[in-house]
Amino acid sequence: MELKTILEINNLIKRYDDGTLAVNGINTEIKEGEFIVIIGPSGAGKSTFLRCINRLVEPSNGSINFLGQSVDKANNKELRQIRAQIGMIFQHYNLVSRLSVLENVLHGRLGYMNSFKGIFNQYSEVEKLKAIEWLMKLGLEDEVYKRADELSGGQKQRVGVCRALTQNPKLILADEPIASLDPNSSTSVMDAIYKNCKEMGIACLINLHQVEVAKKYATRIIGIKSGQIVFDGSADELNDQMIQFIYEGKEDEMYSSNKPFSGTGQLTTI
Amino acid sequence: MKIKNVNHADIKINTELTAPGKKIRIVHKETQRHQNIFFGAVAVLFILALFFIEVDYNGILQGFDRLPSVIKELSQISFENFGTLAFGMLTTLTIAFLAVLISLIISFPISFIVAYNVTPNKFIGTIFRYATMLIRSIPTPIWVLIAVASLGFGPMAGIIGLLFPTTSFFVKAFAAQIEEEGSDVIEAIRSVGGTWWHVVIKGLLPVLFTGLIATIGVRFELDVHESVILGIVGAGGIGYLLQSYIQYYQFGDLTLGILMVFVTIFTLELVINLIRLRIGDR
Repeated sequence: MELKTILEINNLIKRYDDGTLAVNGINTEIKEGEFIVIIGPSGAGKSTFLRCINRLVEPSNGSINFLGQSVDKANNKELRQIRAQIGMIFQHYNLVSRLSVLENVLHGRLGYMNSFKGIFNQYSEVEKLKAIEWLMKLGLEDEVYKRADELSGGQKQRVGVCRALTQNPKLILADEPIASLDPNSSTSVMDAIYKNCKEMGIACLINLHQVEVAKKYATRIIGIKSGQIVFDGSADELNDQMIQFIYEGKEDEMYSSNKPFSGTGQLTTI
Repeated sequence: MKIKNVNHADIKINTELTAPGKKIRIVHKETQRHQNIFFGAVAVLFILALFFIEVDYNGILQGFDRLPSVIKELSQISFENFGTLAFGMLTTLTIAFLAVLISLIISFPISFIVAYNVTPNKFIGTIFRYATMLIRSIPTPIWVLIAVASLGFGPMAGIIGLLFPTTSFFVKAFAAQIEEEGSDVIEAIRSVGGTWWHVVIKGLLPVLFTGLIATIGVRFELDVHESVILGIVGAGGIGYLLQSYIQYYQFGDLTLGILMVFVTIFTLELVINLIRLRIGDR
């Protein structure tokens, strides 16, 4: 059975106003059900690449096709419809802190509502029930009516995951979802994303800088260096030599932040 | 004591530490140099400024001699014109209140067009940005004078005149808050497919709420201060009364007026603070 192509990217280029070439010609394809982790050091262009896909950042050149529809040529209305089907999870959670957890999750439905309905919170009872279901599934049943800023980091990120899942998306983009989390929360968040994407058949594109975490979850790993794809294969094919090449000059970034000493540095004694 | 193998550009530790009779340096050379130049320049400018202003030192000394008699004059208080003064104070407060309210209505939408991370149109946003910059660079009294010249003396001129600096202040302050603290939420609501209205009303407003209230409180206090003074240039309210009491040496009424302004503004600050704490986030 031929797997559906979810995302097709051709020669994607992003050049910022000051001349920086953040994304320098990326070509790739993402099929239904894939769980792809993008690795690479900071500044490699991973975040910019991800944000070009749903045009939070406007690409300078190249084409992006989502389910056969052009993203780069979409008008405002079409772009909204496309974005509604692409969930996004952010490193700093990007929740609306003064609103309740439930309200935050329901924001995932805004892409399907016009301005008026959204402003006056005209969510259907079905939508509200589904949102609460997601929160319960991710272990947040006691947090439903709490203010978003009352939660811990790991809890906030799980709310972010619920918000993305409430969109009923075909694709989820996650930009360093665990970079701000402790090891335990990191595991529960990654498990939540992995399990639910697998169960719902949602394709997933995640930026991570921790290589071990990537190897643990990914069906396919893409390595980005200086705005270009330098590796595209399975976790087994990713050998140490390739990892060193990708993180050349920034070796301490490939490890999780909970390691006491990063990289190969030795403590200098005085 | 010798410390070997320190390879630092601006440290010659060996010679510094072992030079006979010399005290050990502790500061960072270049920072210290910058500090010295700065304070030196300020000192020179201070002296030059004193010469430029032609301070009349004799006059100041004579003023000190007169101080006791001035204090005696101001110590008299007359409640004869209490009613007039109270009405004036109320007028001043109303001028500030109306100016702030109308300014809010005008500036609020404009600030979302100026803020570069949420503007629906960068070009128009830039035009508004420069327009507010221009308006802000003209001092408040000038605006009120223009209003008085066009509309005549009285509270109306005060309100219209105050509108310009207050509106431009709010646009700058709100836009800055949106740009500084709004980016994350803007990204989030955009990414779920929300419209511009969703981004502003469901994302930005809740997040920026306390900051906006704080800004409004600060500006309202300031506009009350300004209204008192602007009364002197013809904008009505208690300032106008105080100015005429000074002119006609009515010290008793003047003292009551000053007291009234003090009590009113002090109370206002306490109340605004209380409101801010209540509305604020813990």
